[in-house]
This record gives sequence, C-alpha cells and structure tokens, in this order.
Amino acid sequence: MLNRPRPLVLVVLALLLVAGLLVPVFGGTYAVKLTTRIIIFAIFVLSLDLLIGITGLVSFGHAAFFGLGAYALYFVSSDAEPSNALIAFPAGMLLAGFAALAIGAVSVLTRGFYFIMVTLAFAQMMFSLFFDTDIAGGSDGAYIYIKPVVSLAGFTLLDLEDRNVFFYLCLALLVAVYVVLLALTRSPFGRVLQGIRWNEGRLSALGFNTYVYKLMSFVIAGAFGGLAGVLYATIDGFVAPELFNWHQSGIAIMMVVLGGVGTLFGPILGTLSFSLVEEILKTESYVGPIAANWSLALGVLLIAAVLGAPRGIAGWLEGKRAAAPAETAPPLPVARRTRERHTGTGKTIETEGLSRAFGGLIAVDDVTLQLAPNKVHGIIGPNGAGKTTLINLLSGALRATSGTIKLDGDDITGLPQHAVARRGLGRSYQRTNIILPFTTRENCLIAAQARHPEALRFSTRRYAKEEEAQAAYALDAVGLSARADTMASHLSHGEQRQLEIAMLMASGAKLLILDEPLGGMGPEETGRVTALLRDLSADHTVILVEHDMDAIFAVADTLTVLVEGRLLAHGSPQDIRRDPAVRQAYLGRFGESEVVAS
Amino acid sequence: MELILIQILNGLQYGLLIFLAASGLTLVFGILGIINLSHGSFYMLGAYLALTLTSYTGDIFLALLIGIPLAFAFGALVEWLFIRHLYDRDHLQQVLLTFALILIFNDLQRIIWGTYPHSVPVPSYLDASVQLSDVLSYPVYRLAVAGFCIFLALCMVYIIQYTRIGQMIRAGESNREMVEVLGIDSRWLFRFVFAAGVSLAAAAGAIAAPIESVYPGIGEPILIISFVVVVIGGIGSVKGAFFGSLLIGLADAFGKVFLPEFASVVVYALMAAVLIVSPGGLFGRA
Repeated sequence: MLNRPRPLVLVVLALLLVAGLLVPVFGGTYAVKLTTRIIIFAIFVLSLDLLIGITGLVSFGHAAFFGLGAYALYFVSSDAEPSNALIAFPAGMLLAGFAALAIGAVSVLTRGFYFIMVTLAFAQMMFSLFFDTDIAGGSDGAYIYIKPVVSLAGFTLLDLEDRNVFFYLCLALLVAVYVVLLALTRSPFGRVLQGIRWNEGRLSALGFNTYVYKLMSFVIAGAFGGLAGVLYATIDGFVAPELFNWHQSGIAIMMVVLGGVGTLFGPILGTLSFSLVEEILKTESYVGPIAANWSLALGVLLIAAVLGAPRGIAGWLEGKRAAAPAETAPPLPVARRTRERHTGTGKTIETEGLSRAFGGLIAVDDVTLQLAPNKVHGIIGPNGAGKTTLINLLSGALRATSGTIKLDGDDITGLPQHAVARRGLGRSYQRTNIILPFTTRENCLIAAQARHPEALRFSTRRYAKEEEAQAAYALDAVGLSARADTMASHLSHGEQRQLEIAMLMASGAKLLILDEPLGGMGPEETGRVTALLRDLSADHTVILVEHDMDAIFAVADTLTVLVEGRLLAHGSPQDIRRDPAVRQAYLGRFGESEVVAS
Repeated sequence: MELILIQILNGLQYGLLIFLAASGLTLVFGILGIINLSHGSFYMLGAYLALTLTSYTGDIFLALLIGIPLAFAFGALVEWLFIRHLYDRDHLQQVLLTFALILIFNDLQRIIWGTYPHSVPVPSYLDASVQLSDVLSYPVYRLAVAGFCIFLALCMVYIIQYTRIGQMIRAGESNREMVEVLGIDSRWLFRFVFAAGVSLAAAAGAIAAPIESVYPGIGEPILIISFVVVVIGGIGSVKGAFFGSLLIGLADAFGKVFLPEFASVVVYALMAAVLIVSPGGLFGRA
C-alpha cells in the first residue's frame, strides 16, 4: 500500500514549493505563465495517477475531462461581467465528473487493452462532438473575454485577471489536490482501489463490488481532471476542441510514468521535469538546431527513459525496494487452538441437480448435496473429477448451466461472486491468491473491511479498531503475528497459504471453501493448518478440496467423492473408506495403501 | 435510392480501407501482445511513399509495387529497434514507447516532406466515373480501391489458411502461448507479423492517397477508428476486424447523410453498444 512520503521526498516537495512561491517574486511574465501552466498540468497528471497508478486503470482518454472542464468555464461565463470562480470551478468538476460517470460506466466493463482503446475512443468522441457541431464556436473554438473572480456575498476576494494571484491560487489547489488524493488513497476506499490494481479477483471474492469502486475512481479522477481544465481555460481565455486532443492524454501518461506510477508525488515531479525538458528543447539559445526538431528529440529521450528507468523519478527518491528477508526466518508460534469466543454458527449450503457444461464437456453433472453447518466437508476425486468447477459454482465464480444452490435456505444461484461473498462465503484458491505488494496485516485489514464494503468509505477511523482487532486475531490464529509487517510477496509459500486462510477468517465469512490449502506445505505446517481447520469448524462450515488423503480423512466430518463430474458417494470418512464403489473407482486406482494405512 | 446506393458503396469502400489498417493492428495485438499506437504513422508512411514514388513512376500502382516492400522492410527495422524490447513489459510501457514513436515519426515526416498538403494523381486510365443514373455517377478509382482491398484481403486469407506461417498465425491468434509451445522461433514470426501489419497499413495509406490529399497526421484518425474496429471485432480476430470495419464504414457513411453533425458520435455509440452486449467484442476470445 502507498505509505506517507518518506522524509527525503517531503524535503524535495517542500523545496519545490518554496521555489514555486518565489517564481512571481523573481520571475517575469513568461516565467509566471509557464509555471502556472506546469502547475495546472500537474493537477491533471496527478488525477490521472489515481486511475493508472492507484487503481491500475490505464486510461488513454483523460483529456476528455480536461476539455470538458475548460468548456464548463465558457458555458458559465458571460461577455458582460466576470463569472464567480466559486461557481465556475465546481461547474467544471461537475461537468467532467458526470461525463466520467457516463464514459466510465461503459469503459469499466472492459480490461487491459480494451480499456486503453475504449477510453481513447470516447475522448475522441468528445473531440468530434465539439469539432463537428457548433457548440461554443465549433472547430474554431471560443473566447472567454472576462476572467472569473473569486467572490463571496458580493465581495470580490481574488481577481484572477491578476497573473500572480492566479498563480498562487493554482499552487494552493495543487497542494490541496495532492493532500486530498493522498488521504483518499490511504483511506479504506483507497485501500480497495490499490487492492484492485494488484488482484481484482481476490477483492471480488472477498465481497467487494469492484465495478463500483473502479467507476468511483474514474469519476473522482475525471472531476479533478475537470478542475485542471477550468484552470487552464482561465489562463488562456480560450477554449477549442484541441483541448480534447488525444496527444494530451498521451503526454499526461508519459508524465505519470516518468515521475513514478502510483506514488502521487512522482507525477508532480514528472510533469515538472517533462515540461522543463520540453521547454529547453524548444529554446534555440540552449540547444541550437535541435530546437527545430524538439519533438523528435523528446521522443528519443522518452524512449530512453521508459526502457532505462521504468520506475521513474520516484524510483530514485525512494531507493531500492526493501530486499527480501533472509531465508532463515525465526520459527513461528504454533496456532492457538483455544479460541476466546465462538461466535454464531456456520452456514448450510445445499445444491439441487447442479450441472455445468463447457461446450460438450459436462464438468459437473447433476450434483445434489447437503452440507451441514459447523462441520468440515471434504471433497475428493481424481484429477478432472470436477472438484474445482464445483467450488467455482458454489462461490459464484462460474454460472451453473442448470440446478440451484441454496445458502442457509436462500437461493443464490446466478448471483455474482461478490454478492455471494457478501452473504458470508469465503474461498481460497489452488494458486495462492493474496495481494502481494501489501503487508500481511494490510491483507487481513482489507479482508476485515469486506464486512462493511460500502463503496464510499473515506473515514479511516470508523471501524478501524474493530478491523485491527479482527486482523490481529486472524494473524494470531494462523501463527503469522510475527510476520504482520512483512510484504506478502516475501512470505514463504506455506505462509502465503496460511495468510489466505487468515484473510478468510478476518473477512467474517461463515462458510469457507478451501481449494488445496495444504498444497506445498511441510508436515509441521500441515499439522498446524489441519488443527486450525478443526478449530474453525466450531463456528464455521468448512469445505475442503485436498489431495493429501491422510490429512483429509483425518480432518473431515463428511466426505464427498466426485468422479467424472458425478457424485459417487457421500458419507463419513469411515463409510467412504468401506464403500466398494469408491474403492474401485477412485481409491483402488490411486492410493489404497494410503487409505488402509490411515 | 441512388443516394443510398452511393452511401453503401462509400461505406463499403471506406470499411475495406479501414480493414487493411485494422487487421494489421489486431494481428499485432493478438500475436505479439502489443498495443501499437504508432500504427497510424505507418498509414501516413504509406501515403507519403505513394506521393514520392508516384512522382517518380507516374503511377500509383507502380508506387505500391515498390512501396509495400519498402514499408515491410521499415516495419521489420522498427520491430528490431524498438518493439522487441516490449514483449515482456506491461501495457503502460507499450503505450509510452509507441506514443514516443509517434512524436518521432511525425517530426521525421515534417523534416522529409514538410507540412504542406499534397495531392497524388489518379492514374489516367482510372480517372473516370460510372454512371449510376441520370444525375449520379461514381468514380472508377474508388471502385478500384475497393477491388485492391478485396485483393489484399484474399491474399491474407490465403496466407493465413494455407501456408505454414499462416498456421503459426492461427495458432497464435487463438492462444498466444501456443506459438511458443509449438516450438516455433517466435522472434521471426513476431518480426514477420509486425512488418506485415506495417505493410497493410502502408498499403491502405498509399491506395487512399489519390482520394484524400496527403497531409501531416493523416494516420491518426485511421488509428483511432482502427481501435474502434478492433474493440468491436474482438482483439486478435481478423474475421472480427473484417466485419467490424464494414460495420463502421457503413455507419460512418450513413451517419454523414442522416446525422451530419453527429456522424462520428454514431460510430462511438455503436462501439459502446457492442461493449455493453459483449465486452470482449463480437468475435473475441471468451
């Protein structure tokens, strides 16, 4: 997760701020105008980093919101008297924000390449809209003759006609936008956005409606992009469709990456250095004949920067990422088996004629099951028996072709995964599914947050204590307390699997579906985790898919045997061990000796 | 009635032209896994090659005969210099590097050819019109453009369906990892596909040069419309690019007649509608 900036970064930012404050004192008109433009662009680029760096949405259409913000100033201005900035600026943010809501509602349905192209296309649509129609002068653009003033109750507080006043206002807004976006990113809402960037599937499985979060992020970024647009129109007093030019979006992405993706302060530095380099390359007295071909030179420099320093300027300031800890980690405490309180009961899950076909292949075929609460239910079967498909159906990751699923008697068939998760079903995956760039504790905190996943929770305090306690309890239960502040990517494989179980505990799920939780664990870890599962079944329902036959026969209360998608047998481990059909179809082929031995 | 016929012809001709550009783009997406923003520059390259080569040879088709191999070689060079460094990098870096290439190509274009618009002559033997009715006629050259595009499209179908390299492309189209699993030296396949994509875009730019004038930035509208086509058709699908192009070509032609101010909005609205119904495009991988 994004931390507060390091002292070195703060010093650099403070020095830049002081230098900025002094520009109108020592610089001439040109310097003030240039710096104002850079500051406004920094606000724009900062808002884009919320999308690209924090949420992981590479938008190539951010200029749409810049342009709309600028046009909003034209719409609220008149030729007779100055408009009030206290109306004009929010108007720019609102217009851009609403457009972002409409564009985002469609764009956020897509991912990856599609998202890049779709956002670019929509920005181009805005360009065409203002270019082809005669809104605000059509392709010729339109002038805003009188600059806005900041006035309150009839008194003019600031006249933005004054170059220096406007400069200081923009600088103050840049600082404000930085502080707001940093706070937003570090809030529970921002925690989810960062989680989405690294592992959207996990967030969805925890019960977060990631579509809504991504859309919110798109709207907030759009609104701040609109703010930059209004400010820009204020300096120039002119709006034209060129404001929507997709090169603006491209250059803004360049600045984000040059500065350091996802750091918020990086994009400010990126904007500054990019603009200064561009200015120098354009000035003949500095670079001689290159000035005529400055964009060629800029392109070459950018390619060198992208290939040479992918982490940007922030990468230098933040130094090397913390190195992985030494292999010899101290032994971890054994999980506590005595739980202070057992709260509530697990959930009952039932299926009726559940089937799923992939084309001609029927992976799960007419499975009817009833799994009682507060028990450990094992699902076994040879490879390809449909175990993973079955749990994907139960958790809502896949839609059933036919049949129904009931959770505590409620029909949940066809609900999306996050909605199923919100009803108290948590799952782990065959391939460990955690948020690698978060610490162990942060992983559990975001899971605990899933108990109240309102999309707009900016307050850090509300539920904070409760969530801290839940995370601490879960980490303690799986024996990872000593690793709370370790980056999840630095944990051993077994520890990562335990972290995934801790996340499910912290999330408050009452029905846990675990897909091979013991995979890759040593005997000592296996013992600890199976003990934990038994303990969890006091107030959870646990469904376990596992290949370790010794472990699953030891820990499960009931066993379900799947073969070729069909339910072959269901019963206690003793019954299953004696069942001749199971012996023949499954155990006989693979591991009779294992079963007999246990 | 004639008006509708003319718009259908215009729409199909424009759609076929977009198809040449979009098919290259979608193959580069699908097989190389690269988002190539500089694809429009190659369309521009084709237009300017047509300008220069036609002034020497006097005929646009001779210019194409020389220009397409040149564009192919240029594409292979760009792949070797820049694109191959991007295969293991994330989308963001691909966006940046190919965007930086646009800045470079635009400046190179300005240095070599200058900023004035130019026109390329229609060959005299095609400089005629077909009489559709008493009042309406249709230029023969536009029909020739459509014919040329169909010819190239058929060449593509042949290469993709019946040659060994086409077999590799099909393997890569359905599953990118498949190419490596099959033990194909992906470096040469990638270079070939990229250069072929460049040649297709350049061919489109060249054949269209006599219809529109040749000017700086001529490739950018084509790039964006090709993106729309790829989104509609589904990434990596040549078939999707074909139907997407014709759909967009017709929507654009009819939009211009019935909603002149909102013609381009019609195209994007179509894209939004497809995305809502099928976010992976009409012929995309599931």
